Amino acid sequence: MTAIAPPQPLELRATIRAEVAAASRVVAPLWPIGTFIAVNPLGGLQASSFEEAVRTARRDLGARGYPSLREARAGHASGAVTDAQLADALAEAVDGLDDLPPVAGVPAARLLLADLLHAPPAPGPERLQTVAARWDAVLGTTIAGQVDELVAAWCAAFTDEGVAGWGIPRDPGGLYATFRVLAGDDSRVGRLAGPGVRDKLRALPDDPAAAIVAALERLGVGAAQRGDELRAQLLRQPGWAGYLRWRSDWAPADSTSPPADLTDLLAVRLTCEALGVRAARDRAAVAATGLPGSRRVASAGADPNARLAAACDTLGIDGDALTADDRARALALLARLGEDDRGAIWLAARERAYRDDLLAALDRAPVAARARGEGRPAAQLVCCIDVRSEGLRRRLEALGDYETLGFAGFFAVAIRFRGLGAAAPAALCPVLLRPAVDIEERPAAGGEAAAAEALDRRSGELAFAEAFHHAKSGLASPFALAEAGGLLAGPLAVLRTFVTPSRSRRPGAWPATTVTATADEEGDPGFTTAEQVRFAHAALTMMGLTGPFARLVVLCAHGSHTRNNPYAAALDCGACGGQRGGPNARVAAAILNREPVRAALAGRGTVIPDDTWFVAAEHDTTSDAVTMLDRELVPAGHREELSRLEADLARAGLALARERAARLPGGGPAAARGRDWAQVRPEWGLAGNAAFIAGPRSMTRGLDLGCRTFLHSYRAEADPDGSALETILTAPLVVAQWINAQYYFSSVDPELFGAGDKTLHNVTGTVGVVQGGGGDLRVGLPWQSVAVGDRLQHEPLRLLAVVQAPLARIDEIVARNQVLRELFGGGWVSLAAREHDTSPWFRRDRDGRWSHHRSKEAAA
Amino acid sequence: MSVTELTPMQKLEVVVGGEDVPVVRDLFAQAGVTGWTSVENVSGLGHDGFHQGRLLFNERAALALLITVVPEERIGALVAGLRALFDERPGVMFVSETRVSRPEYFR
Repeated sequence: MTAIAPPQPLELRATIRAEVAAASRVVAPLWPIGTFIAVNPLGGLQASSFEEAVRTARRDLGARGYPSLREARAGHASGAVTDAQLADALAEAVDGLDDLPPVAGVPAARLLLADLLHAPPAPGPERLQTVAARWDAVLGTTIAGQVDELVAAWCAAFTDEGVAGWGIPRDPGGLYATFRVLAGDDSRVGRLAGPGVRDKLRALPDDPAAAIVAALERLGVGAAQRGDELRAQLLRQPGWAGYLRWRSDWAPADSTSPPADLTDLLAVRLTCEALGVRAARDRAAVAATGLPGSRRVASAGADPNARLAAACDTLGIDGDALTADDRARALALLARLGEDDRGAIWLAARERAYRDDLLAALDRAPVAARARGEGRPAAQLVCCIDVRSEGLRRRLEALGDYETLGFAGFFAVAIRFRGLGAAAPAALCPVLLRPAVDIEERPAAGGEAAAAEALDRRSGELAFAEAFHHAKSGLASPFALAEAGGLLAGPLAVLRTFVTPSRSRRPGAWPATTVTATADEEGDPGFTTAEQVRFAHAALTMMGLTGPFARLVVLCAHGSHTRNNPYAAALDCGACGGQRGGPNARVAAAILNREPVRAALAGRGTVIPDDTWFVAAEHDTTSDAVTMLDRELVPAGHREELSRLEADLARAGLALARERAARLPGGGPAAARGRDWAQVRPEWGLAGNAAFIAGPRSMTRGLDLGCRTFLHSYRAEADPDGSALETILTAPLVVAQWINAQYYFSSVDPELFGAGDKTLHNVTGTVGVVQGGGGDLRVGLPWQSVAVGDRLQHEPLRLLAVVQAPLARIDEIVARNQVLRELFGGGWVSLAAREHDTSPWFRRDRDGRWSHHRSKEAAA
Repeated sequence: MSVTELTPMQKLEVVVGGEDVPVVRDLFAQAGVTGWTSVENVSGLGHDGFHQGRLLFNERAALALLITVVPEERIGALVAGLRALFDERPGVMFVSETRVSRPEYFR
């Protein structure tokens, strides 16, 4: 047999980089906090089923993937989950349940139900251990924790991007190269590595992948264990790892910043661990005898005897009197349901309850409300699919002959937008897309002087803020600042904490501006007419808005207005890259008002009447006020209708604000919460999200869906080839699932998948938040975004997709798209559909089989 | 110039999911690759089933084809890296002999 030649250095380094990339799938990318994007924390495991991914997260990360038994049982006690729904979920989870032999005359199903309802929970899971953590257990040291702290500090310093008063000199080679050059001056590294730290650092390889190889060798990790070790290392710091993954995989190309990727991070981590372990072993005079302890600390399940005792108590059986056979049979039966299985059954039961209620409600959608009439509506309002839009649409429709539609809030225009006076452009589109063109906001004609004045004013304010910031972070200046401004700043801070301003602070009048949607020969960036026609046609077809058109069609984007809130972007538009969507609405309206675009659309069968005007607007989701944008462009003949619509939108917004405020602790005017700098919960955002509905508004009009559903307009008859539905399912649905998964996991494991308590957060650079003085970046949503006290506000349910379209068309689309095969086939999203308004509902199982959905009434 | 006067090189074609494109590009860069061609939104049938290639609003879910040409001495590192990636991630690679007229572009 020929011996396999050892890999050459270049090959080994390439192998390491690829293995790091593969290992990185255990952490989700983490966007900078200013453009917070909701992601599925287990998205890297999406090729597995949901249950398998949760099992992996439990085993490797020590994470919980299901709502706690306490919460699940509380739902049952409140009637949110019925006995029948729980029994159905159990029967679906346990093959041949009815055929299993009884225990002491009690059917197996009853015993397992008693276990689900009353047995004690299992202890918390453990996590994958790094080599240093294993040595810590042997030597009584804290190397792994020290390395966590050290590496977090180096990451924060390296990625600071100029926010800190004193930045570190970054080596052009990147994070690892900088560490290698400077770490000799870091006393923490010295304490970890012991004497001669500078020589040890100098002896390290130049290349980070080579450094990983060297460190793994010193730690005694062989090729077969490498993947586990790399994952274990990344999982010690999922926040920083996620941020660096974002930089590598998602960030726009940046040739100005030195690189920092996961290979760098692991090179620094493993180098520190290797130095620390070596020094600790030297101190303890422990010879190298391979790896100590166990890679994984197994998670013990709940004590089977305690579970059996609890079930027996519930059923009125004397557990001590069970025969040996019965006892063995009972324990074997209980062993069929591990902790994850019990969680999965409870989750399935709760989802079943929500699905049954929602489909029953859709069946009962008021017939009168459906028949809005055939003529032109008083106005049409196209909102983002965001769950908060459901309330605005419902409230507005109740006030008049309005038609509302749902569409992704970037309105099909993927732009890189530079606002007037903005330092840098922002990508306003779903992160699944790259912006197609640059759009710049400019002063409106005749408003140049006012704009210059406003920009001067803003520059002055920014300069003052910058000077204040620098004075705070200088060497001696903080003392002078405290002397000069302390007397004023202290009382002001107290005042701002206890007194909410009565109106938003505005930097004086902001000038009228314009956005140019069309590229021209003078070099103005924008879309070509052909691109505009393509996107306009796609958007109108996707939402089924092909006529009749109202005289006013409002494209209503959304954004939030809050103060002192690092998570402000989490409340903005996910379809606009975590930004406010107003600019997209302005560009889309400008495109749809262009005569050449309308002429081309007419050629494709969509005739927009000459008297139809598209106007942009923005829904402030904190106050639920709607503001028209570019109002001055609206033709004089439409102004009166616009005023009526604005008045109705104001009434609708007010009613919605009251409705949403009732769900917030403390109540109070919604707008005031946004202005309050001490408010940790300005609004609930997308908490409660549970379903994505693609279909005509006639499915849902007149129903109160409680701001829990993403509503995407779709008319199957306007989409004969299914391309519009394919786009809806492969983009808006995918983004909705990310949001849903972010809320789900932030709720079920707020420590590992959520950002913890907001009141303890400190912002680091422009990157994210840490809890307290340092440590790992926090991922996910803060506890205040999903809960009040110890009570969850967000009900963690996986997304339910509800589609009104031919089932065969759905099957074809799923079959040709892997992302949908994974989402539906893996149980990340469940799917219910019907062909048209009056046909029955069908549910699609993970294998793609449709089964008739029995309504609650029929089931009863 | 006849074919035999052209300089022999190795051609590498890689098909991966959109989300793995950055990894492949990183491997290219680390191996000293000086240029590549990228074809996004490709469709095709593989052992995971069919892959749609014309997704309007999702550039991440579709497959991409990356093509590069390198001298013999660089292909080993690229193949080693891609093999390690494909141990965990879906994707295929094809390596073949090719010839180029301006070898300095590929070194």
